[in-house]
Amino acid sequence: MIFLNLPRFETMDHSLLPENPDGAESALEVPSVHILKNQKDQTTWIPCPSCEAPCRDRVLSKGTELRCRRCGARVKIARGEYSLQPALAFSTAALFAAILANLNPILTFDVVGDTQSGWIITGVESLNGQGYWPLALLVFFASILAPLLYLSAMWYASAACFLRVPLPFARTALQWVEMMEPWNLVPVYAIATVVSVVKLRMLGNVEWQSGARWVLGMAFFSLLAANAFDCKLVGEKLTSLEAGRK
Amino acid sequence: MSISDTIRVELARALVVTGIILYIPSNILPVMTMSIVGTVEPLTVLGGVEELYDSGLPLIAGVVFLASIVVPFLKLACLGWILFLHGKPVNMKERTTLLKIVQTIGSWSMVDIFLLSVLAAVGQLGALASVEARPGALFFAAVVLCSLFAAEIYKPRLIWRTKPISAA
Repeated sequence: MIFLNLPRFETMDHSLLPENPDGAESALEVPSVHILKNQKDQTTWIPCPSCEAPCRDRVLSKGTELRCRRCGARVKIARGEYSLQPALAFSTAALFAAILANLNPILTFDVVGDTQSGWIITGVESLNGQGYWPLALLVFFASILAPLLYLSAMWYASAACFLRVPLPFARTALQWVEMMEPWNLVPVYAIATVVSVVKLRMLGNVEWQSGARWVLGMAFFSLLAANAFDCKLVGEKLTSLEAGRK
Repeated sequence: MSISDTIRVELARALVVTGIILYIPSNILPVMTMSIVGTVEPLTVLGGVEELYDSGLPLIAGVVFLASIVVPFLKLACLGWILFLHGKPVNMKERTTLLKIVQTIGSWSMVDIFLLSVLAAVGQLGALASVEARPGALFFAAVVLCSLFAAEIYKPRLIWRTKPISAA
C-alpha cells in the first residue's frame, strides 16, 4: 500500500467543520450526521487524486465536498443522481457545433474585389502547402482532431451512464477524455479568429461567416461540458454498470 | 502506458530546458511575412503585438502580448522553479497550486499558432495579399509543445514525494 509511506493521516471537510489546528481526530468527535460509522476500524481511506495523501472517506450530503487536508484539492463531491445529464446535453450540442464549424467557412477576406473564404481546414492546407507540415499537423490535431475525439468520447461515455447500459469501449472512451483534455483548444482557436479578423481589417474587407458562430458555440459548449463531466464519477458508474451485468 | 517517476521528473526537466533555449529564437525570428500589394513585411511575435497596439487596439494587443510572450515565459519559469524544488519539503502547497494554474493557462499560448493558421487560410490572394509562415513559427510551436508536455508529464503527486520510495 502506498499509504504506508506517508506520514500523516488527516482529512476533514472545510465546508462543514471549523478549522481545527489540533489535527485529524477532531473530525471524529464532531457529532455530525455526515460521518458514517466512526469506529476507528471501519473508516476507509481514499487517496487524494492530486497528491495521493490518504483522506478519510465518508458519506457526503448533497452539495458538499471532501477536500484534501494536505494540498487542498477536491477529493470527492456529492453530486445528484442526474448530474451526468448536463454533460451529455452539452457534449451533444458541442459536437453539433463542431461539425457545423468545420463545414462552414469562418470568414471571407476581400482585397480589391478578390475574395477568399477560410475554413478551419484551409489554414492547415495552406501551411502544408508552404512546406510547414509540422505546423499544419499541429493545427490539424489541436483544432480539428482533438476536439472531435474529446467531445465524441465524452458523449459516448456519458451516454453509457445515461442509458445505464455498459456500452462496449465506454471505458476506453473515458481514457480518451482524460488524455485529450489538455488538447481541447477550441476556446483558444476562437480567440485567434477574433484577433485575425482585427489584423485583416487593416488590410482589406473581412466578413464573418456562419462558421465563426459555430466555432464560438463549440468553444462555449465544450467548456460547459468539460465542467459538467466528472471523470471519476463516470468511472464509478461504469464499474457499477459492468458489475450489474455480470 | 506507465512511465516511472524518475523518468517523469527527468523528462520534464529536459523539456523545460529545451523550451527555454528555443524561447530565444522564437522571439527573434519572424513568425510570418505578410505581403500586401507588393510590400513584404516580416513580423516577429512582438512586432505583431506592436502593430496591433499602433492601430489603436490596446486591448487585443494586450491579450496577444500576454498569451504569446508573457505566458510562455512565465510558464517555463514556473515549471523551472517547481522542478528545481522537486524532492525538497518546501512550498509544496504553493507548488501544487502553481502547477495547476500552469496546466490550465498553458494552452493559451497556442493562440499565435492558430492565428497564423487563420491568416494563412485567407491570405492566399497572390500578389494582392499573402501570408506566409516563417521558421520562427516552428520554434514558437516547439516552445509551446515543450511547456505543454512538461506540465502534463510532471504530476502534482510528485511534488509531495519528499523521499525516494522503493516500491512505487
